Amino acid sequence: MTNSPPDALLALTNVNTFYGQAQVHFDLSISVPRGHIVCLLGGNASGKSTTMKIILGLVKPRSGDVTFDGASLLGLTTPQIVRRGIASVPEARRLFADMTVRENILMGAFVRDDREAIAQDLDKMLTLFPKLGQRLSQRAGSLSGGEQQMVAMARALMSRPRMIVMDEPTMGLSPLYVDRVLELIRTINREGVSVFMVEQNASLALEIAHEAYVLQTGKIVLSGSARALKDDPRIRDAYLGGSEAA
Amino acid sequence: MSSWLDYTINGLIVGNVYALVAVGLALIFGVSRLINFAQGSIYLVGAYIGWVAVVQLHTPLPLTIIVVAVAAALVGLIIERFGLRPLQNSVRIAPLLATIGISFVLDQLVMLTFSPNPRALPSQLPDVRFQIGGGTIGPLDLLIAGVGITSALLLFVFLRYSKLGWAIRATAQDRDAAMQMGVDVNRVNQAVFGIAAALGGVSGLLVGMYYNQIDTAMSLQATLKGVVAEVVGGAGNVPGAVIGSLLLGLVESYGVAVFGTSYRNLFAFLLLVVVLVLRPNGLFASARQAPPEPLTGTFIAPSRPVRIPRWALLVATGIFAILPLLPVSFYVLQTLINAWLLGMLALSLTLVAGTIGQVSLGHAALLAIGAYTSALLSLTFAVPVGLAIIGGGLMSAALGTALISPSFRLRGHYVSIATLAIGEIVSLVILNWESVTRGPIGISGIPPLSLAGYELVSPISIYCFSFIVMVVLALLQGRLLGSHLGRSFRAIRDDDIAARAYGLSLNRYKSLAFIFGGFAAGVSGGIAAHLYSYINHETFNTQQSILALTVVILGGLGNVVGAIVGAVALVGLPEVFRIAAEYRILIYGIVLLLLVRFRPQGLLGTM
Repeated sequence: MTNSPPDALLALTNVNTFYGQAQVHFDLSISVPRGHIVCLLGGNASGKSTTMKIILGLVKPRSGDVTFDGASLLGLTTPQIVRRGIASVPEARRLFADMTVRENILMGAFVRDDREAIAQDLDKMLTLFPKLGQRLSQRAGSLSGGEQQMVAMARALMSRPRMIVMDEPTMGLSPLYVDRVLELIRTINREGVSVFMVEQNASLALEIAHEAYVLQTGKIVLSGSARALKDDPRIRDAYLGGSEAA
Repeated sequence: MSSWLDYTINGLIVGNVYALVAVGLALIFGVSRLINFAQGSIYLVGAYIGWVAVVQLHTPLPLTIIVVAVAAALVGLIIERFGLRPLQNSVRIAPLLATIGISFVLDQLVMLTFSPNPRALPSQLPDVRFQIGGGTIGPLDLLIAGVGITSALLLFVFLRYSKLGWAIRATAQDRDAAMQMGVDVNRVNQAVFGIAAALGGVSGLLVGMYYNQIDTAMSLQATLKGVVAEVVGGAGNVPGAVIGSLLLGLVESYGVAVFGTSYRNLFAFLLLVVVLVLRPNGLFASARQAPPEPLTGTFIAPSRPVRIPRWALLVATGIFAILPLLPVSFYVLQTLINAWLLGMLALSLTLVAGTIGQVSLGHAALLAIGAYTSALLSLTFAVPVGLAIIGGGLMSAALGTALISPSFRLRGHYVSIATLAIGEIVSLVILNWESVTRGPIGISGIPPLSLAGYELVSPISIYCFSFIVMVVLALLQGRLLGSHLGRSFRAIRDDDIAARAYGLSLNRYKSLAFIFGGFAAGVSGGIAAHLYSYINHETFNTQQSILALTVVILGGLGNVVGAIVGAVALVGLPEVFRIAAEYRILIYGIVLLLLVRFRPQGLLGTM
């Protein structure tokens, strides 16, 4: 039994997940300490996105536990989990394409009822993401991929979450936007929001993460501080373009 | 009514009524990707609640409208909570079939409560007409227009400015993402069903007042018209549904002006088929929009079919074959003859809906084509009955396939809508093509069954004849399914894109399935025509199409033996339990609902 450290905000403990007969997770244990950025690395079909779905309650594990701030999330529906303080930036952003940018950002505050504070937070988002200011009444579907990523992040922040989970936030973005997104994740984190992100691009993720886990076909094969992992030869070979071809 | 302006006003008023139904359908489709076939039943319930309020409680008009809206909304909430929510995680066809079952149950309950006889629903408004230009307009027209416009405005404001409205729009665009924003999707579904039902109920009330008459046949018609308007406007598109409704009202009204009343529905369904084939996303959808349907065939509940040993099948066939020699009553034989005829139809449908995955809701049209062809061949051209029945089968195969072929590019729910529309079109053409079909009078004096000059009039001979024909068709179909062709059919059902990538021509295989299925159904219709000796355009109606679908699901989609077992069960059990005729449709509806909920793979499993 690997007990999660007491300061863990989010902890997955011995999670086993199945799609029908096929097992996706094998005794998966991950913990996200308060105030940290934790990154889950892995290739295609390693079970990364399913980990996101487990946290958000979109998929239920067969065994194991998921706790947030000490309380189990397993019996809760997705909206209830969101109300506990977890916001998400889904894979491929999943904006409401036919709603305006403004409506999309405000949808993030769906769980809140404090109108004035919501309006203030919207202004805050526009300082954090200045480009969105001119786009507010535009259809979200008409934005570029990078701009959509900004909207998705603003939308997630609008619920004033304690934690944000992100599924491949840099996927499909131009290099310029990749740097911008990483910088923003750091900013968000500095303001006290814990971050759990799933990434394929290990070198980028390890730049900003405090800790990282490496997932391979449903099992954690490597974990530790981001700094240590960056120099780990196994990581270098698998993800950072090591000398031998895999 | 004479002037063009009158026809325009009439078209817009009727369009307003359709809009109230279609907007509800569009809201529901938007949020849950479901065509709610129970929408017309709520409209029916609304009309009858209005009748009770007006005629028995003498409520004033504003109160009547409120009472109807609230009561209908309650019915909608009940349907959502108990009929559909339990099906959230089942196969995609399950909720669609459930709404069909619910509509059967609701319609029959209304019929049993109020009797099938039409009732007058007075409008409570003064009967005056105002002149405008070359036409006239009455207070009821203004009321309908007012209700239509007011509810459209309220709905717009609700969707645009309320929190629940935002939740509905977000859910319609991306259900999972909406949940991740904290939207409770169940509440959204509830809200949408409540609103849709309230609008539908009020629509029923207004229509009843407009024609000063209500009857239980209104239900299916309303669903069909609502679906037409919704699809024309683009499934799930709320403003599109309003415009589609007005367009439908105008097309019908002008069609009636030029050709006469009996053409009204023909124009509606032709409009639907044309839009489906040319612009399946509706008139207003932009080209970039992907069709709101899953790309692969998730329509069939996966299951392992029950293996029946060959000897057991042989024994069962043997017992049924020698049954007439045993001391059984004619009543039993008669019942089984009906079962064998339904079995042939079910064989056809289980191939088309189960094996190749094109869930047809208009299969009775194939019966009608076969029946009319066989009857006319034997009556007009004195073709021997045996040959005439084969002719009926061939005609159903050819004509049925030709009619459906423009819709081969459609998928999923859209196939169901197209087949439903084609079924209605066939029936309407039969009604209107008097020189050939004798129109509403129908065909009487059809010669009895005969084979090589011998008339088959005794129940025993008819029993043997129909049983043998069915067994031959079943054997052929069994061979077909085991062959390369059967595997290709299933491949297309399970993933049409993958099938195409492997070089299968979808159109060719879909045609083959409809040709074989059309033949079986046409033969069944042909035999029925000679048994009944009288047929008309309503002999083979949508109710039979749905009954056939229930049989096929009961037996297990795609399952040949299952189709026959299902037919015997659904024809036989009501007889065994001596259930009165008026309760049977109710029972069928309940059976369909229970199956969908608890055993979607049917008795013998899908194949």
